Order: sequence, then C-alpha cells, then structure tokens
Amino acid sequence: MPTPRMYRGALATAATLLLAGCASTNPDTALHASAGQARALAGVEPRLLRNDDDRRALAAEIDDLVRQPLSLDAAVRIAILNHPGLQAQYWDAGIAQADLAQASRLRNPSFGFSRMSGGGSVEIERGVSLDLAGLLTMPLRQRMAARRHEQATLQVAAAIERHAIATRRAWIEAVAAGQALDYARQVAAAADASSELMERMTLAGNASALDLARESSFHAEAGAAVLRAARARDAARERLTRQLGLWGAQAGYILPERLPDLPAQAVALSGIERLAIERRLDVRAARADAAGTAADLGLTRTTRMVNVLDLGYASKSETGEARSEGYEVSLELPLFDWGGARVARAEGLYMQALGRVAETAVNARSEARAGYLGYRASHDVARHYRDHVIPLRKKIAEETLLRYNGMLASPFELLADAREQAAAVHAAIEALKDFWLAEADLEAALGGRLPPSPSATHVHAHEHKEAQ
Amino acid sequence: MTNRRSFLTGAGVTMLGASLVSKAGAATLPEAPVHSSAATAAPLAPPSGRPYNPVVTLNGWTLPWRMKDGVKEFHLVAEPVVRELAPGMQANLWGYNGQSPGPTIEVVEGDRVRIFVTNKLPEHTSVHWHGQLLPCGMDGVTGLTQPGIQPGKTFVYEFVARHAGTFMYHPHADEMQQMAMGMMGFWVTHPKNPRQHAVDRDYVMLLSSYDIEPGSYTPRTNTMLDFNLWTINSRVFPGLDPMVARLGDKVRIRVGNLTMTNHPIHLHGHRFEVAGTDGGWVPKSARWPEVTTDVAVGQMRAIEFVADAPGDWAFHCHKSHHTMNAMGHDVPTLIGVDHRGVAEKINKLVPGYMVMGDKGGSMGDMKMPLPANTLPMMSGDGPFGNLEMGGMFTVLKVREGLARGDYRDPGWYRHPAGSVAREWTGDVPAPTSAPDARPAPAPAGQALDARKPGAKDGGGHHHH
Repeated sequence: MPTPRMYRGALATAATLLLAGCASTNPDTALHASAGQARALAGVEPRLLRNDDDRRALAAEIDDLVRQPLSLDAAVRIAILNHPGLQAQYWDAGIAQADLAQASRLRNPSFGFSRMSGGGSVEIERGVSLDLAGLLTMPLRQRMAARRHEQATLQVAAAIERHAIATRRAWIEAVAAGQALDYARQVAAAADASSELMERMTLAGNASALDLARESSFHAEAGAAVLRAARARDAARERLTRQLGLWGAQAGYILPERLPDLPAQAVALSGIERLAIERRLDVRAARADAAGTAADLGLTRTTRMVNVLDLGYASKSETGEARSEGYEVSLELPLFDWGGARVARAEGLYMQALGRVAETAVNARSEARAGYLGYRASHDVARHYRDHVIPLRKKIAEETLLRYNGMLASPFELLADAREQAAAVHAAIEALKDFWLAEADLEAALGGRLPPSPSATHVHAHEHKEAQ
Repeated sequence: MTNRRSFLTGAGVTMLGASLVSKAGAATLPEAPVHSSAATAAPLAPPSGRPYNPVVTLNGWTLPWRMKDGVKEFHLVAEPVVRELAPGMQANLWGYNGQSPGPTIEVVEGDRVRIFVTNKLPEHTSVHWHGQLLPCGMDGVTGLTQPGIQPGKTFVYEFVARHAGTFMYHPHADEMQQMAMGMMGFWVTHPKNPRQHAVDRDYVMLLSSYDIEPGSYTPRTNTMLDFNLWTINSRVFPGLDPMVARLGDKVRIRVGNLTMTNHPIHLHGHRFEVAGTDGGWVPKSARWPEVTTDVAVGQMRAIEFVADAPGDWAFHCHKSHHTMNAMGHDVPTLIGVDHRGVAEKINKLVPGYMVMGDKGGSMGDMKMPLPANTLPMMSGDGPFGNLEMGGMFTVLKVREGLARGDYRDPGWYRHPAGSVAREWTGDVPAPTSAPDARPAPAPAGQALDARKPGAKDGGGHHHH
C-alpha cells in the first residue's frame, strides 16, 4: 500500500519524466537516426519537407541535377529526397518519436467529483487519483517505447534502402532500354540500306521483285522491332520517373546514352554472411522486434497481478457533516484472471519473434551468398562478352570487309553482318545490365554499398602499358 | 606478273631424301630427290640411257633416275607439301617429292621402268599410270589390282614403257580426296628416235582445280564443280612462268586435264594442230588446225605450232571464270546500280565500305586489303597496265635470236613503231544507224492488262 511519502516521490519522478519527454518530439530529430542509416546505404541523407521553402530549395537542387544527363547517384539522390511516398514514410520516424515521448509521460491524473442530494442533504465527493501502476512501470514502458522507436527508425531506413535499390534498378533498366533502342535503330538502318540497295538493283534490272520483297520485309520487321524497343524504353523510363517522384518539366530529364563500363574486376568479398548479419536492416529490425517483445514480456510479467492500481486523494463533504478526507486505492483483484494467459501470450509473441530473427538471419546469409555468386557470375558473363564475343564480332566484320574488297562477298553480306554485330552488341548490353542489376541485388543482400572495385581506367592503362 | 624470276636449275634445288629410307633400304632404293621451289626447272638432259629431247614442266621439274641393270629406277614419295600457288598464297596440298604436281617422269619408248613409291601420307595410296599399256597388276587400282600402299610402306611398280606419248600418273586410292589435294604428275614417253616428232621446245602442264576458302590454306576436297582456283601445274596467274620460244621454233605444248570440267585451251597469234592425245600421236593427215582446243576431263592433248609471230601472246583456258582467282560466285551483279545515298548509309554502318561493281567488275589498280593467303580475283602487271587475269592464264613469249635452251623470261615485247592499238584523236565519223524499226510502245497499262475488255474492275476472273 503506497504511503504519502511514496506518493510524493512518485509525483516528483513523474515531473522529471514529463520534462525529459518534452524535448524529443521534433520529427527532424526523429528522422536523423534513419538518415544516418540511409547515408551509409545510399550516400544521401533524407530530409523532411515541412513547408514550401523546403520544397522550393529541393526543386532548385533537382533542377540542377536534371540539367545534365542523370547519373545513377543523382537519380538515387533525387529519389530519396523527393519521392512523396518516402516523404510520407519519413513522418513515421516522427510518429515513433512522439510515441516515445508519450511513453515517458504519466497518464493524466483523474479527478472525480460527485454530488448527491436527497432528503435535504447534499453529499459531495471529490477525488484525484493517479495511475500508480503506470508510474511504477514507467521505466519499463519507456524502454519498450525506445525499442519501438528504434524499430521505426530501422523501418524508415529500410524503406529508404529499398527505394534506393529499386531506383538504381529502374535507372539501369531505363538506360539499358535506351541503348537497346539505339541498337534496334542500327539494325533497322542496316535493313534500310539493304532494302534500298535492293530497290536500286531492281530499278537497274539486276534483281527481281521477289528479292526486293524479301529484303523489304526484313526492313519492315526491323522497323517493328524499333517500335517495340521504343515502347520498352518509354515504359522503363516511366518506371524510373515514378521512382524519382518527378513530374512536369523535371520529368523531362535526360539519361546517359550508355551504362557505366564494366569494372575491371569484380569486388572480392570475404565474410559476406557476417557482413549481411551485421548490416542488414531486416536482421536488425527482427532483433529489435524480439527485444521489444522481450520488454513487453517483462512488463506483462511485472503487471500480471496488478493491472490497475490507482491511488487517489479523496475528500467527502456532506451537508451537516464534517468534511472528511482520505485516500483511496483501487486494485484489481487477481481472482479470476491471474494474468497467466497474458504472460503466456507475451511469451508466445517473444518466442515467435526469436523464431523470426533466426529465419531472417538464415535467409540473409543465403541471400548474401546467392547475391555474391550472382554478382560474380554476371561479371564473368559481361566480361566474356566484352573480351571475347565483341572482339570476335569486330574481327568478323573486318574479315567480311576484306572479302568484300576481294569481290568475294556482296554488300548485302556486309549489311547482314552489321545486323548480326548489332545483335551481339545488344546481348553484350544485356549482360552489362545484368551485371549492374546483380550488383544492386548484392548490395540489397548485404545491406550496404560494396567497397569500390579497382577502377577500370587504371587497369586499362596498365594493360596498355603491357601491350607496349 | 612475276617475270624475270630466277630460272632455277634442277641441281640447285633438289636434295637427297636420304632420311626417307632405312640404311638397309638405302642400298636397294634409288634416291628420292626433293624439289623445294615452284619455279620452272631447266629441262633435264638424260644423263644415262637412250637419248631424247627433254620437256619443260612449266613451274615444275623432272624426276632424276638411276640406271640399275638396264632398268630406269625412279623413287616417288607421296607426302603432304606446301605449294605456292602464286606469290602471296600457299596451299596445303598432297604431292610427290616436295611439290604438287609431282615431278615429270621422262622415259624412252621401250625402257624398262621400275618405280618405287613410298607413302608418307596419313592414309593408303597407290599410283595409276594413266594411259600406259602395262600388266594389269601394275595398273595401280587399289582393291582391284593391288592392295593400297599403307602409310610408311614402299611399293614397287615395274613395266615397259611401250608407246611413245603423253601420259600422267595419279592415285587410284581415295581418288576424290587425293586428287582434290593435288596428287598428280606428268609422264612423257619419248620416241626411240629423238628426231621423230622432234620439236625445239616441249612444254608440259597438268590442269587441276582447288577450292580454297579465302583466308584458308587447305582445299575443300568435297567440292565437285564450284572450284575457285583453276591451276596450271598447281600455279595460277600471276604466279605462272611464261612459255618462251625463239622466233621460228617448233613448239609443242602438252596439256593434261585432271579437273572436273573441260578446258578450251586457247593460244593467241598462232594456229596450232592437235598432234597427240593420250592414245598416241595423230597421223599428220588427220590433224586439223585450231586456235582453241578443248581438253576434256581426264584427257591429254599435245598441240604443235611454229612460233612465227614475235610478241607476247596470251595462252589460257577460254572459260572466263577459269582466268580468275577466287571470287564470290554468289555476289549479285551491281552493274548500273545507282549507289547515291545508299553508299553513305552503308558507310555509316560499315566503316571502310567503298562502292564497287556498279560500273562493272574491273577493279583497275585498286589495291584493297584482302583476307590472309588470298590472291586478288584478277591481277598481273603488264607493260600497259593491269592484265585483269588469274587462274589458267600465262603468256607465250616469242622472240628473235634467243639461244637454244634459253628459257629465261625475256621481259615484255618491244612492239615495232606504229604496231600497237592507240587512241584515235581525230574526228569520229557519225555512226550509221539502222532506221528505227521498233514498234511504238503500247499505251501504259494495256500491255500488262490481261483482263478481257468489258470485265468489271476487280472481278475479272469471274468472267473467265
């Protein structure tokens, strides 16, 4: 039973906590924790757009970025700063922050007043009561809220990460689709030259209508391929635009003509599973979730008997009677519900959370391995195209030209080869695209950027030196 | 044209093939000389045996022999060789004693001949003595008259060269592959009396064909008709040496055809007579004059004429594709095709593209880079420019005052003043033209319109 002294002590504690809680409801501060995570992941620090000034400043920044061909980093920057969905999510951090502040506050005291009159007498009862159990368990609940806040922070950071990765993928797809369109146009140009030459041959009487129809039908199909490639390019671009959250004039950004070159070497990573476990937000979120349920469990255990413990000051005055004062305590009697079910439920939730942590960790390890293997393999494929397939196609083109020189081959063979060459280049672009996508997947699986690989130019210079 | 090539004597370039046979065998086998040059060797005057007037194998040589107990012993070694078809092109062929075709064998009517054949090919072979009248077991047909000569084995053939004439030898084992790879050689049986049929210069040549993909070295042996290199003694113009004759010389040219098509052999500036086949000499009364004689597949023809016209005279197969080197037989004709605009489009896609063929096939003096080991389709520098020839083409050079037995290339003919075709710079008379007898063109549409008059548009066939 709390004594008046305890009562005074509890009030003092409540006052301190009230003051402490007031300082931490700023959503910018709340986002700051997530921002740190995001900077590590995407190299960009998100910020909240709170008013028109913020929006104008961002618009000016984006205008600068879209003035030149949009690089991958610029795309990620725009997406993180500008995407309205992300902006909405950033407020989650603020909401969690507010929840945390709320948890540090004591439930408001309740004031009770009753007035009863009858038979000429009036009876007035006044009472102020305080949630004593709440006060006593406040540190526990605060820890819980802090963990929930951390979870929210991680969730916002995870949303940023997901969005950054999705933006990178969209950028890679959009640039590659642009390149694919270029090559479809080259094929069509070769077909165009071919059919025009055949048309001239028909005019000169050297070819038949059948020859011309065959050449022209190929040209027509190449034209259809250009239309399809253009449609694919437009769709890929719109996906990127949505990721960036751009509209209006800013949606008219231009993209680079080519994907970045293949890094000379794939990044060699050791201990990728450890990296994934350390860095992945889903693993950390699962852990935080488990820690949160542990706190819940602790609270539930603590309050299994005493769910409601209200301590109050009571004063009663009745007509003709002396005013009487005292306190009242209301306590739930653990008669029917000893809280066992609640504890069991909390325990179940806790064990479930632990299970989720284990599952997330196992998946993270596997995804890290798969991501790394995919990354290495796609680097091998792209390098194979760059170092073997494309040089061989070049060699074929040279040799075909030599045969044309010797009147051993016709211009049509040159043009057919030009078409095949474009097809090989197209496959090489696909391989390069697959590599960059695999890199994005690996970064998602590892929960962070890869260390930079040795730069391509450096290695080329080295090779050049060796060639001399 | 590769004239003024050093004219090599046989002795300078033949080597003893001592390593070919075992020491024990060396005592019993004659030497197997090897020839390493594709130049024309000087005629081999017979060092022993009956005398005869030796022949000259154009871009080839004659196989030396030894006399043993009155028998002429030769040693042929069948082996893979690298033959220069013309400067700038080597071919991986099979041949005999270092060259394809193999060395010419010269004997005299009535000679007893013993020929050792060592097989250094990766498969069995045999030698068929084409046109010889000999015991059946010496005819060299694997399976029919003898087992194949297995790799590393040496067989011996022995018979009497019964009739004077023009013959050849080639395998009769896996014939299609081995002949497509260049296995063949010339055989001349001289008459007993050297004065009989005597001529001043006697050239021999075998016609063969190869299909060597531009950029490659080995013939495609499964090709049947679409060969791309038509050769005289496995040489193509401009790699062929000229045939040289002194003004007034009696000249004989013996041609054997081991390709898979006939060759109308044509000589400029002279009339000749077909004097012999592989069946023997044609009686004088039966010869008829020609400037072109067709040499059918598997045949030999000896033509004779007096070189009475000084100058440089073309000698070639008259099938025009046979006087070309490798060409694209599927290349469409571009003559008269207007390339304006299209050429630029192609050039954007194929840097280095250049319009060719729109004015004809003549490439003039364009020196375009070609695939490795590939000769230009037509080439050869003459005194008046490019000859635009290849394949089965060479030149008969008739000159005054050459020494007997001088086969050196005398250089280009110096024409007497005023005897060369020249540009006319005077007035050109107006051409006389026939009256225009062509009917006026039909009004548009009428000629092509097969509809009955009165048929409704689009439904014509309903009324048929």
